[in-house]
Amino acid sequence: MTDCIKNPAGDHMEDRILFIGMPLLVANIAMAIWGIGYRHLHAAGAYLPAILFALMGVAFIVIFGLYLKEEQDEFQRDLWVQALLWGIGATLTIITFWGSLVEFELAKGLKLLFVFPLFMLITCIARLVLRLRYR
Amino acid sequence: MKNRLKVLRAERDWSQGDLAQRLEVSRQSVNAIETGKFDPSLPLAFKLARLFERPIEEIFEDSESAS
Repeated sequence: MTDCIKNPAGDHMEDRILFIGMPLLVANIAMAIWGIGYRHLHAAGAYLPAILFALMGVAFIVIFGLYLKEEQDEFQRDLWVQALLWGIGATLTIITFWGSLVEFELAKGLKLLFVFPLFMLITCIARLVLRLRYR
Repeated sequence: MKNRLKVLRAERDWSQGDLAQRLEVSRQSVNAIETGKFDPSLPLAFKLARLFERPIEEIFEDSESAS
């Protein structure tokens, strides 16, 4: 992340994403794609995937929060804040647009399980673009 | 905000990476400050001032007062 000096905050975040965030994200996407979630489970059983999805969201927010707290390099911190804002803004825009289309029966309902992975995808793309911009 | 980082760095024959290491920030950060794309916080500006042994106003130029 820092090109030439060691960045403990960045290293910690990468470890947390690799060992906590990614397994939860992969489980989330797999469950969303294969429909293992709510459809095939009854009442109490459906709480398990629901809790898993919620945990993933909380885990990533905590990971990002800890990184922003630990990062000593203010410019890198600023880049992550910008990337997160792009992620939040674009995700809200897309789901609002999509939701309007659904209201007028112009599109199928959006699977809400994909909202967080969409946010993550846009945030990562924004982060890459910002890195390239400030090379 | 304009600054004289590139000149000061060149006087000491430091690369952006050398300066980054001394400041304990990324090379990207030094580049962004140097090109005026990012304004450093007051603590980082003081750190630069200490490093180059110059007052802050000799390193950074307030664009409003310059115009």
